Amino acid sequence: MSDYQVLNTRAPRVDGPAKATGQAKYTDDFKIPGMLYASILQSPVAHARILHIDASKARKLTGVKAVVTAREAGLIKYGVSPARYDETLFAHDKVRYVGDEIAAVAASDQDIAQEALSLIKVDYEELPAVFDMFEAMKEGAPQIHDEFPGNMNAEVHQEFGDTEAALRSCDLVVDHTFINKRQDAAFIEPHSCLAVFDHSGRLTLYTSTQVPHYVMRTVAMTLQIPVGNVRVIKPYVGGGFGPKCEATPLEMSCGLLSKVTGQPVKMTYSREQVFLHSRARHQFYAEMSLGVMKDGTMVALKNKAVLDGGAYTSFGIATVYYSGSLLGGPYKLKTMKYDGYRVYTNKPACGAQRGHGGVAHRACFEQLIDMTAEKLGIDPIDMRLKNIMTTGDITVNELDMSSLGMKECIEAIRSGSDWNNKKGKLPKGKGIGMACGFFVSGAGYPIYRSDTYHSTVVIKLSEDGGVANVMTGSAEIGQGSDTTMAMIAAETLGIKLKDVQVHSGDTDYSVDLGAYSSRQTLMTGHATKEAAEQVKSQIASHLSEELNVPVSSITFADGIVKFDGGPGNFEKLRSSYIKEHRGWMDPPTGEYLTFREAARMAYLKAGTIVGTGKYKPPRLGGSYKGAAVGTSPAYGCSAQIVEVTVDLETGQITIDRMTDAHDCGLAINRTSVEGQMQGSLSMGLGECLFEEVKFDSRGRVLNPSLGEYKIPTALDMPKVKSIIVESSEPNGPYGAKEVGEGAIMPTIPAILNAIYDATGVRVNELPATSERLFMALKDKSEAV
Amino acid sequence: MLLPKFDYHEPATLEDALRLLSEMGGNARIVAGGTDLLVRMKLKVEKPSHLISLRKIPRINVIIQRENHGVSIGAAVTAGELSTNELIMERFTPIGLAAARLGAPGIRNRATIGGNLVNARPAADLSPACMVLNASLKLKRSKNEREVPVNDFFRGPGETLIEPNEMLVSIFVETPPPWSGGAYIKLGSRKTLEISMVNVAVLLTLQSQNGPIVDAKIALGAVAPTPVRAFAAEEFLIGRQPSAKLFSEAGAIGVGMCEPITDHRGTMEYRCLMIETLTSRALNQAYQDAMTWKPLPV
Repeated sequence: MSDYQVLNTRAPRVDGPAKATGQAKYTDDFKIPGMLYASILQSPVAHARILHIDASKARKLTGVKAVVTAREAGLIKYGVSPARYDETLFAHDKVRYVGDEIAAVAASDQDIAQEALSLIKVDYEELPAVFDMFEAMKEGAPQIHDEFPGNMNAEVHQEFGDTEAALRSCDLVVDHTFINKRQDAAFIEPHSCLAVFDHSGRLTLYTSTQVPHYVMRTVAMTLQIPVGNVRVIKPYVGGGFGPKCEATPLEMSCGLLSKVTGQPVKMTYSREQVFLHSRARHQFYAEMSLGVMKDGTMVALKNKAVLDGGAYTSFGIATVYYSGSLLGGPYKLKTMKYDGYRVYTNKPACGAQRGHGGVAHRACFEQLIDMTAEKLGIDPIDMRLKNIMTTGDITVNELDMSSLGMKECIEAIRSGSDWNNKKGKLPKGKGIGMACGFFVSGAGYPIYRSDTYHSTVVIKLSEDGGVANVMTGSAEIGQGSDTTMAMIAAETLGIKLKDVQVHSGDTDYSVDLGAYSSRQTLMTGHATKEAAEQVKSQIASHLSEELNVPVSSITFADGIVKFDGGPGNFEKLRSSYIKEHRGWMDPPTGEYLTFREAARMAYLKAGTIVGTGKYKPPRLGGSYKGAAVGTSPAYGCSAQIVEVTVDLETGQITIDRMTDAHDCGLAINRTSVEGQMQGSLSMGLGECLFEEVKFDSRGRVLNPSLGEYKIPTALDMPKVKSIIVESSEPNGPYGAKEVGEGAIMPTIPAILNAIYDATGVRVNELPATSERLFMALKDKSEAV
Repeated sequence: MLLPKFDYHEPATLEDALRLLSEMGGNARIVAGGTDLLVRMKLKVEKPSHLISLRKIPRINVIIQRENHGVSIGAAVTAGELSTNELIMERFTPIGLAAARLGAPGIRNRATIGGNLVNARPAADLSPACMVLNASLKLKRSKNEREVPVNDFFRGPGETLIEPNEMLVSIFVETPPPWSGGAYIKLGSRKTLEISMVNVAVLLTLQSQNGPIVDAKIALGAVAPTPVRAFAAEEFLIGRQPSAKLFSEAGAIGVGMCEPITDHRGTMEYRCLMIETLTSRALNQAYQDAMTWKPLPV
């Protein structure tokens, strides 16, 4: 298929054996002598003034080593974006949601820690609370933060071209409104952290995170430890999907308690606490108008989003920008206007989740396109193809589609699903629908303003030359990034995959912004490639000197070195290698010089062979306010077709088939690409049909468990046909770009468009439960 | 979430278990699979100071065929076993089907029929199935025992006739007459691992393969504080010739028996509408099953 030895294959994952055998250790598996167990006291009320905190009884309980509150922790404000730091580790004046953190306890065991929490007496003066985003925006609503009147956390107003004038010039304008529900990411491993503050004043955190780098910075800032003295190590992680993209009160509490007690401190959130911490997908309300010409040409898009942010900002300021900016493609628009509002409510804070900011808004837009196509009498696929962007196009909001296989994706699913023979020809109760989407391959800018590299990588060869150690701060969280980096290193060095060892997830190894915005394949990949090239060129130049051949004649592939494409004369290297390893069982053999021998020779000359690589994107995007959000060196895109059966007597929806095509540039590991595609579909299916975090009238989560918060089971997932479309991305390492998030974009609207096709009912509120659909069917039949 | 502290007992005989139960009065709970109890204990909804395990008690987890007239199911028989047992599936179909819809495989491997009945959740899977089969429950205490029809057993959510010092030891079900067929339908939001929004169990007996209905039993779950029988619909069916139209009329009558609530799983209105649809569907399925009734191979 390709000339690559390692890339573009179906390599087994490097972490597979450890995970399959249970040897992989997750944070909560760690135990250190003298380790204490911590627990956090969380507010039982949604909105209240804190009058007094009395922890004296808890402090006296035998086995309790420390109790910390805002008094001990201080009032340093933190958050995700420095533009909106609105949290302190512990609430001091007010609590703003059920679950807001008030104190933390470290004790000799978990039972004592729990008991100590029950002994902390907090006097509250309850305040009126507001749980609905539209209520929160009304005059006279309870005010959650003094600094943000009207509970307006962030507003975005962007316009590209004169949208109103453009809409007036259109032949047809179609409107749609849509609302989704707050989600939980439902990763399997709850947040967990073990903090060790040692005698040299160094804090080491073992923590279940997507972003060791940002955790290091935030914890250093809030605990006032020099950032160089904080080390964050990410053991194996059982999923993140976005909510683990920021430092948590759990991590800061463990760090603080370890600093106070001088002992290691561990804490793991219960599943209920995962729901209370949240930071997952917002509830979005969308209002959109699409203006088109009779022939289907899209002209103008006017849209508005209201986001229920919960009690704090978290990622929200980026989220509300993303909703608008990610509508700029993959269709050519002449004008676009976006008004976004993120509103505070007395609920847990929402943050980033797979497809950050884009998913719900995309669901509205892709339904709107179908509605428009229907009015124009155009096939939904033809309507999209008529407006599709291709490689080199720049969106109305100045995002550069440096490669875009969108058209190829659409053609692939059209034939892959047999669309032409199904669309409009299915019996009542059966439907077919499609949608498209695109996403960034890494945010163009770090979360804090900085000229930092987004990724650096160190590759160090073992002294025998047999192993390339890739050292990176990037975060393997189950998505397969360690395997990806191993493959890129192996391909670049010209060695076998088994001879690469990846050491990742440690801030001491390198700088890496982490696993968010689908950035690691492109960014860490670039740095890995550069580090490997550096190693290779060092070896080549030593070989050239030693054997007196030109560097240009030397090539590395599959673990062997060739000279002018042949074996060359390397006898003296081999005999000296074997001499140095007398008695060893694995002398190098064969007619070619091995990489191991060559690397050993380089070591003998120059000492440990180390290569470093680095990457940061060039300056990207326009100069308007908020132009940074949505920029990326490259964009992945996907198209999906979903086929459904609706039980018209109950409203139950069965997804029969999904056909999915994704342009990920060069597929580094074809199996992993398909895994990401199918995982995205499953997550989108859940959000579309089942998932909703529900609250009672006092702001308490009603379904904080994976029994009652419903994600898809294996039986809910249909057969999926995954089609990999490979464009060549000039800005990606070996032409690679994202797949982890873009693949979720079309899923929800494709399902909803299929439901409409099956029933004639347009579902404009998620989740599309059997009840919601049945009632809509009933209303429709009664209206006729 | 941590379990509260408790003492754990593993008696080796039923007599020892019953003695422990009577000594501890209301402070003990029987634990079999623990799929409900341990969750409720972690949530601190229940705080028994003693747990008495059934795992060492002989024969409490077996299904015993009683000649040809019935079957005795030990209280600790798992849903997994019920759902794969050929006799149960063939002759006591609603129990087999309901067991197969309980939770997911991991839960079915632990959850027991006794636990499912004694916990008395309005949405339990096995309760309506046992009700249409007129199961009889053997409740034992150290000195004596009694038999209670399952149709009288449930008193409210989590409430049954069982006394604190009593243990459900087995469930006896008489074999339905020839030309009987059963069904169980459950409506939840996803395909499995669900708590019912509505569930329906049906047992239908025909006079002969094509004959009229001689007996009909319909039980509905998650529509009232306890699972309920739809007596009016049952009476309506008896003596009539089965047809889709008849079953649809019976479904409409079935709704009259229910007082569903609105909660976060579904509204009252939707539940009522679904009772009608699902009852009619379950009757149709049970009818298909009855028509294909065969004597068991000897």
